[in-house]
Amino acid sequence: MARRGSRVATDEEEVELNMTPMLDVVFILLIFFIVTSVFIKEPGIDPIRPEALTEQDLNPSMLVAVNSENEIWIDRRVYEQAELQPIIEQLLQENPKARATIQGDEEADIGIILDVQDLLIENGVEVTISTLQE
Amino acid sequence: MRRRKQNNEDQAEVNMTPMLDIVFILLIFFIVTATFLSEEGIDMTPPPESDAPPPPDAPSPIVVQVDQDNNIFVNRVRTDVDRVLSAVNRFRAESAGSAVLIEANDEASHGIIVRIWDDMNANGVPVSLTRTDGEAQ
Repeated sequence: MARRGSRVATDEEEVELNMTPMLDVVFILLIFFIVTSVFIKEPGIDPIRPEALTEQDLNPSMLVAVNSENEIWIDRRVYEQAELQPIIEQLLQENPKARATIQGDEEADIGIILDVQDLLIENGVEVTISTLQE
Repeated sequence: MRRRKQNNEDQAEVNMTPMLDIVFILLIFFIVTATFLSEEGIDMTPPPESDAPPPPDAPSPIVVQVDQDNNIFVNRVRTDVDRVLSAVNRFRAESAGSAVLIEANDEASHGIIVRIWDDMNANGVPVSLTRTDGEAQ
């Protein structure tokens, strides 16, 4: 009887042992996804960006898109150039160390792109220009 | 005696399950919301302004003008976008080390400017960008 009791105990220990490595893995996955997740506000459009040879990998946390009709898109909304300052300030408040990338369409006016770039630089944001991804 | 022991171990397992559920739900949430954003691009920000005057022996820059209809002029000679580099190289052969200044009209297209900028950068030609707002020259 005592023997049988101990066998039951080892069985249940084994059940617990099977759980622990899985829990470890799940926690490691969880921590990985928490750390790597960036809650970035996407512009909502995908302009045709120009190709470039000297491109570098960027790691932006703020995206501004300009399409071929010269509309400025941030966070799935169109903004006029005059409305940009408050929205940039708001984005900076959420993420003070933000780095911006402008996704400009090939057909967009360079003047608009440079205006947006100047505005971001005035706000102390590092700016890069996005190019076509392979 | 045996019965109580079993009960205790049952309870230990029961305590684990809700936590596991929550952990899994969190895991699924983060997997779904994770956006692995990969962007490639170039840096077209102007260098910081300096008050120091340029060295007197600096060669005058090669001016590449792009007007509102995307016509390209290298030192006032009209050129095709594919031939900008060879035109610039011809001028650089005469005065080595001269930089390129892109004078872009505000209505010139972004793609053309990036292409010229990138061509210059890929070949080690120092390049900077200014804008001309207004009428074509």
